Amino acid sequence: MKPFVCFNKVSHQYQSNTTHKVQALTDINFHINKHEFVAVVGPSGCGKSTLLKLITGLMSPSEGSVEIFGKTMHEPRNEVGIVFQKPTLLPWLSVLDNVTFPLKHQHGKVASEAKQYAMTLLKLVGLEQFAHQRPAQLSGGMQQRVGIARALILKPEILIMDEPFSALDALSREIMGFELLRIWEEEPKTVLFITHSINEAVLLADKVLVMSPRPGTVVEELPIDLPRPRNNTTLKHEKFAYYADILRDHIFQKHAALNE
Amino acid sequence: MPKRSSLPSLLFSMAALFTASLSLAADKVNFQLDWLPGGDKSPIYVGIDQGFFAEVDIEVRINQGRGSTEAITRIATGTSDIGIADIVALLQARAADNVPVKAVYSLLSQAPHAFVVKKEAGIQSVADVKGKKVATSPFTSSNIFLPLLLEKNGLKESDITLVKTDPGALGPMLITDATDVVISWLTSVDRYRSQAKQAGTELDVIPWYDAGLEFYATSVIASERFLKERPDVAKRFLSAFHKSVEFAFANPDMAAKAVNKKVPEADIPTAITTINSMRTLVYNSVSEKDGIGTITPERLQLTWQATAKAQNLNVTDFDPESVVDRRFYMEQ
Amino acid sequence: MNKALHRYLPILALLALIPLWELICYLANVPNYILPRPSVIYDAFINVDKMRWLEHLWATVRVAVLGFLLSIFISLPLAVLMVQSSFLNRTLFPLLVIIQSTPVVAIAPLLIVILGAGEAPRLAITCLITFFPIVVSTTTGMLSTPSELIDLSRSLKGSVFRQIWQIRFPFAIPHIFSGLKVGITLAIIGAVISEFVAAEKGLGYFVQFSTSYFKIPQAFAALLFLSIISLLLFQTIRWIQAIFFAWSLPAEEQK
Repeated sequence: MKPFVCFNKVSHQYQSNTTHKVQALTDINFHINKHEFVAVVGPSGCGKSTLLKLITGLMSPSEGSVEIFGKTMHEPRNEVGIVFQKPTLLPWLSVLDNVTFPLKHQHGKVASEAKQYAMTLLKLVGLEQFAHQRPAQLSGGMQQRVGIARALILKPEILIMDEPFSALDALSREIMGFELLRIWEEEPKTVLFITHSINEAVLLADKVLVMSPRPGTVVEELPIDLPRPRNNTTLKHEKFAYYADILRDHIFQKHAALNE
Repeated sequence: MPKRSSLPSLLFSMAALFTASLSLAADKVNFQLDWLPGGDKSPIYVGIDQGFFAEVDIEVRINQGRGSTEAITRIATGTSDIGIADIVALLQARAADNVPVKAVYSLLSQAPHAFVVKKEAGIQSVADVKGKKVATSPFTSSNIFLPLLLEKNGLKESDITLVKTDPGALGPMLITDATDVVISWLTSVDRYRSQAKQAGTELDVIPWYDAGLEFYATSVIASERFLKERPDVAKRFLSAFHKSVEFAFANPDMAAKAVNKKVPEADIPTAITTINSMRTLVYNSVSEKDGIGTITPERLQLTWQATAKAQNLNVTDFDPESVVDRRFYMEQ
Repeated sequence: MNKALHRYLPILALLALIPLWELICYLANVPNYILPRPSVIYDAFINVDKMRWLEHLWATVRVAVLGFLLSIFISLPLAVLMVQSSFLNRTLFPLLVIIQSTPVVAIAPLLIVILGAGEAPRLAITCLITFFPIVVSTTTGMLSTPSELIDLSRSLKGSVFRQIWQIRFPFAIPHIFSGLKVGITLAIIGAVISEFVAAEKGLGYFVQFSTSYFKIPQAFAALLFLSIISLLLFQTIRWIQAIFFAWSLPAEEQK
């Protein structure tokens, strides 16, 4: 069976001005299988946002190819849903209308079945009683749940999450991590989860990609063999610290090597 | 029966048709004022009110104005056909730009510029302003003739301290002794008088025409196009206008009422005082000799000489006669 | 009770100013041609026929509101163009600054020659004075849209029209309303200036008429009228925002 997402020798450079080029990504190779949860960790400036733009089809790589379902990606596709770092909801719309917004934006109208599905999604993220409130009345964590529901409305096979919990406090962040896992178990998706947090990556992912800074490339691909469903006890699992240490070593060794 | 009733009704409809075509035939004329309505603009209002223009089959529409230059521009561009403006402004405009507007009738044969002083100050002639503070508004046309006036009376500009300030401040300045002399038009003097009265003091007026400045001022001007295309209308208009001028000065109260009727902002008592205060500018030795309305080549030349001198223009570069068209108004 | 007091305090403060003004003018014996007392202004107000006031009032409000609507009509599409094209942004913006910094009074006679003596030049003058803050605030508002939402729109392959109509434009609403609030007060100023230059009706014309005949109390009465209209129109914009766009107000103002 073909992988759902496949990066083949992907490099990307930006034209910063007429003479200079900035190498953002170099020779990236990885693949993600169906319903696999892959996390990407790396320090700031490792090209994560470029990676995100490539995988969502907002940009095409300078070299190599990005494939979704075995086909090269040329433009954005509905099979890919995005959850942003900040919830970025539309303050003038109700929670429900925010969830259905992608449909409205794409087709100009929202069918009543779609509204029902949006309600199902709100139920999934635990917010059905807030459907008719405005985003401003919700907490940051709740707003991000709406963001997740919005990303799911087009029934994407692949979900891209760009540091979705980074704006939350530590406690909410942990709760949201477990919430995400619960949602993922109920609605299995192929997930690419970008994060700064090593613990978050180990807790959530089947596989963690470690990226190096400038020019960004994948230096390690670490399968996380922890039992599912994962929960609070996973954090105390003997191998949890082990995986976290390996990742930490990779990130900081690379740093040390660079500094020498 | 039906036949008998159809004849009167036919006659009636014919009569209606006739009157309709009569009212259609009335010539429409757009008349341009050089400033807001008031007693000094009363002739045109009273002429309409008394039906002098209707008598000669002319329907007048009045456009209010904001200064002579604007009035000339609006007549030149065809917004108005005929109107009033200072002939000095027209001389300047024609000398500079040859605008297609001509003077056809002189309303003020003397210029309205004057000094206003407190009675107690003891200033009785232009020569007396030597060493005094003089206040004027920045945009009044009086300013350009001040140097000429001083020169004719043996003074230099450095002999006075000239202050330019907002017109609304001039009266209070005079009353509070912030200035000794105010430059004003004779038509506005009564407003200063009423302010002075409130403050318990009296004012004296020194008209510049008594001090050697002899020239025309406000005149009726018309676009060359109007004069060329509707000469007959222009003639009839001017004869009715002349009748209106004489009526206005003979019946200031009726003239004032006519203005007030059209423009309620212009109150009747103020309008009456304005009409009376400008009487000498219309009825004077000049108009006695030449007749009201007449523009003589000699006095026009004087007007141009004063204008050229005041504006530093070459007197011989321009023939003031080109500004006038005398074919439309004949003294009755 | 306390809340009501809080609400009407500004009006009460203004009303309290009136006797104070009267008293100071009385004690200092300020003549009417410098600063008329409120009672004298009131007399001047009463002396003018109500229908005349209404006529002048209507003329000014009409020009101000129509000119204001015209400027909205011009500003919003202009802002959209400038947001969509950085080329237009770079070329149009300096032009707008030039138009804005040209004293309208200076070009007013020109406008009358071009547009005739009717209502058109007055609307044009009002519009010229009003449109700049609306364009600037709308442009700023539309550019402040979070880039994530633009990415979302692009990932959904939404049309440019929907990107503007469903995302950028609503996001600009709070900014647009700040611009409109500045704009409506300028619209009154614009209408008055235009009446100074060319009009036979309106409160600006009335002020000019009154001052040119030294009827200062009457001019003051008209000026007070103008302030009241400005306040009311400003308040109308706030009401519109509070009723139709409550979400765009800061949380403490939403009640």
